[in-house]
This record gives sequence, C-alpha cells and structure tokens, in this order.
Amino acid sequence: MRKKLLGAFTVAFAVLWFLPVVWMLITSLKYETDIFQLPPIWIPSRITLDHYKVVMERSHILRWFLNSVVITTCVTFLVLIVDSLAAFAFARLRFFGRDVLFSIVLASMMVPGQVTIVPLFALFSDLGLINTAQAVILPPLAGAFGVFLLRQFFLGIPLELEESAIIDGCSKLGVLRHVILPLSKPGLSALAIFTALGSWNNYLWPLIVLQDQTKMTLPVGLATLRGTYATSSYGVLMAAAVISSVPIFVMFVFMKKYFIQGIALTGGMK
Amino acid sequence: MAKAKRSFYRSFKENLTGYMFVLPYFCFFGLFTLYPILQGFFMSLTERDIFGFDIRFVGLKNYAQMLTDQRFWTALKNTASFTLMDVPTNVVLAILLATLLNRHFRGKEISLSMVFFPRLLSISVIAFIWLWLYEPEWGLLNHYLSFLGVGPISWLRNPSVALRAVVVATVWWTVGNNVVLFMAGMQQIPTEVYEAAELDGSVGLHRFFRITLPLLRPTAQFVVIMQIIASFQIFGQVNIMTGGGPAGATRVLVQYIYETGFSYFEMGYAAALSYILFLLIMVVSVIQLVWLRER
Repeated sequence: MRKKLLGAFTVAFAVLWFLPVVWMLITSLKYETDIFQLPPIWIPSRITLDHYKVVMERSHILRWFLNSVVITTCVTFLVLIVDSLAAFAFARLRFFGRDVLFSIVLASMMVPGQVTIVPLFALFSDLGLINTAQAVILPPLAGAFGVFLLRQFFLGIPLELEESAIIDGCSKLGVLRHVILPLSKPGLSALAIFTALGSWNNYLWPLIVLQDQTKMTLPVGLATLRGTYATSSYGVLMAAAVISSVPIFVMFVFMKKYFIQGIALTGGMK
Repeated sequence: MAKAKRSFYRSFKENLTGYMFVLPYFCFFGLFTLYPILQGFFMSLTERDIFGFDIRFVGLKNYAQMLTDQRFWTALKNTASFTLMDVPTNVVLAILLATLLNRHFRGKEISLSMVFFPRLLSISVIAFIWLWLYEPEWGLLNHYLSFLGVGPISWLRNPSVALRAVVVATVWWTVGNNVVLFMAGMQQIPTEVYEAAELDGSVGLHRFFRITLPLLRPTAQFVVIMQIIASFQIFGQVNIMTGGGPAGATRVLVQYIYETGFSYFEMGYAAALSYILFLLIMVVSVIQLVWLRER
C-alpha cells in the first residue's frame, strides 16, 4: 500500500514537472483572447495555428532550424572522427611524448569555453570567419572530453582481438576501423549524444559570432524574437518554442534509452 | 633520459604513426584552446577596441580596475548567490527524485522521461516558457499562488526576487540530468548490501541515510563539482530572461564579460574578467582533485 502511494506520488510529481512543456503547447494553439484569460484555460474549446503562421512568415525560423541541424551534424561527425583518431593513438600506439601530450589534453578540460571567447572572437575576426558556420563548427573540435572518453573505452577492449587483425595484415588505421570502432558503439553513441546536445543548445558563442539573421542558429534566432513578441504575444513565442522542440521530442521518444544511457555514461566517466 | 632517447630512435615509423593520428586533433587544440588561453592573457594586459586599432600595453591596469569596479563585485556576488542557491537545491532535489524513481512502480519509465525531458530543450525555449509562467498579470504562477494568499509577485522585475526566479528555471531545466546520474550511482550499489541491511532491520529512511547516501558519495561529489562549475558559467537564462536586470540584480560574471566585450567593446577588460573566471574555476577544480583523492 505504502509502495503504491509512493509510486503514485512520484508519477504525480513528474506530471507536474512536465506541465510547463504542456502549457507551452497549449498556449501556442490558443487564440489571443484565450491566452490572456483567468482562470487559465487548460482545454481550449477552439484552437488556431495563427501563431505558427506568424512565426513562419515573419521570422527565419526554418532557416535557423536548418542552420542548427547542419552545424550540429557537422560538429558531431567531425568530433567523432578527430577524437577517435587521437584516442586510438593515446590508447594503443607508442610514440615519444605521448603521456605528456595526454596530460595537457586532460588539463584543458578544466578550461571552460566561456574563458576563451574574447581571444577566440579576435582570432575569428582575423581569419575573416565572423558570421559563418565555420566559426561555430570549428571551436568544439578542440574539446578534450571526447578524447578522454573514447580512450577509456578503447583501453577496455582486449588486445588479442587486434593482434589477429595485425597478423592478417591490417594497418593501424584498419585496426581502428574494423576492430576498435565496431566494439565501441556505446562509447561512440554516448559521445555523439553529448556532443550533439551541447552543439544544439550552444548559445553564448553563436550569439557572439553570428550577427546576420539568416546565419543564426535556433537558440540565438529564437532569442531575437523575445524583444519583438514578449510583451505583445506569448502565443507567438510559444509557437516558436514548440517548433524548435518538436524534433527533439520525436528523437527523444525513439531514442530515450540512448539519451539516458549516454548521460549516465558520460557523467560517470568525467 | 637514456631510455627516453632510445625510445625516440627505436622506431621512427612507430612515432610517426602516432603523431599522424593525433595531428588533426592537435591542430584544433592548438588553434582553439592553447592559443586563446595565451592570447587571452596577453589581451588582458592591453587596452584596445574591437577593431584591433590602437592596442596599448597597460600592464595589470585591467586587473587593478576590477578592485574598484562596483559592477564587477556585484556580478561576482550574483554568481556566488546563484551558485549557493542552485547547487544545493539541484543536488537535494535530484537525490530525492532519483530515490523515488529508482523503485519499481507503474509509470516509472514515463515519469523519468518527464523529469528528464526539459534538459533537452534549448535555453531559449526554457527562457520563453518561464517568461510566460512568470508573467505578473496573466502567468500561471501568480494565478495559482494567489490561492495561497501569495503575490502577485513581479518575478523578473523585482531586484530581490529576480535571481531566485532564474534559479528556479535553471533547476527545472537541469535537474533531470542529475537524476539520471544519481540513478546510475544507485544502481551500482550491490544488492547484497541492501539485503544485509534488511537482515539488520534497516529499512526506509534509516536505510536511506545509513546506506544509500554514504554509498552515493562519489556520485554526489561529482555532481556537486560539475554543478558548481556550470553555475559559475550561467549565462543564457539571464541573457534572455532579464538581460542582467533589473538594476543589475541578475548580472552574473559571464553576462558582465559579454556586455564588457561585445556591447562596450572593451576587449582587454573583458579578457581580464575572463581570466578571473578561469582562476575561480581552477580553484574549484583543484579542490575537487584534493577532495576526490581524500577518499
């Protein structure tokens, strides 16, 4: 009995916790006059897509969305490639200065991105890359976390498996591709989720380097709507928020297990 | 030394292969991590405008300027208050929720999903949702609080409330992440420990305080440190919801760095402020290393 009660309490709490998300969706579908109504209308008797129309027509939201998708995809793929090459070298190859280099990489995990935005901005202006997607894609490739995570993963793979591949005449790159990577799927997917999430939600750096409306990513573009609509129409803001959340929601529903495992894994390793 | 030398010459090819594998990463690492760290320190010793004209070496002037800069001290204080409010709330709530969710009951999966989902939303979406909930006249929060005889509160326009309002929104956003971490930590506690405790008659709250909590210590340490470091860097919520206002009540360090560097274009001073933030995070990281080694 007590067990059931605690369970019911937990579900009720979770529903309450999720309610703001539901409220966002409901508000976005309401007529203006129903939005500003007390007591609040939880189940509107009539709904409209007007706010969605306004967002689509008067902002670059689809463009921002596309920019975010392209940037997140590029960052994630490049991080996976660059980091698995480096992690493989740190885990399996012997070369002069390896351990010193790895310590430097490890130490850099203590330096958060916020600390380097000012010199980075100067660097990207010198390179003439302000207002370009490259400016958002390149800096995350220097992140140390993925190298660390994948190295840990690679170290856990038994050496014998590679030895037979080497005897068969496989090169080092071949060993990485055909032996190590296929065995590291949990680590790779955890890193992919960690990287993609970070890139998708990145705000400060894109805010600084992307000034052109058509170049902006979703979080930065959305934020510009706040000034235009915050006082006049919450319906429009909520519609914009829903549009940018739906893909995340769909992905989460289908890949819930990976998301949660990914967080537990990347958290446990760090 | 002799050994190092030998290993250097032993296999030139082996070394070369290693370097080829790390080369792509170190190109990015050098350009976007090492170089900015050094360049940032150099910039913090200069005064210059955003266009790069007229760079003057001014020594430690920027650092000295901080001592008398009231805005800097307020930003530091706001960041500290934010951290002191966010970290305990976040960690305690996460442990409680993880304990509740780590049991077997109908709706367990969906409950975890509902608590976790906000973490996946982008910061602008979080800010919009809470701007609307906090709306003084028509927002849900003031409406329901009025039944308790509270309010109406101008959540984001009242200087003594605004920072707390940002904390609430942040906890809502991030707690799911920590719940998942604590649940993973709880699942690592061997069931034998609980069985033995049960034989000793340790159940319920007693069991939670005597067994679960102490064994969760490594996870808790990790979460606390990560949460402190994340709190030091809080920016998006503030930037979108309040812009640092009202009257600077929510202007945290990163917001101040952003304003200094990219609204007032005082790049040298912004670089110096960043270095102070860097220093603070280093201190926390070193404390972490010592704290974790103590175990």
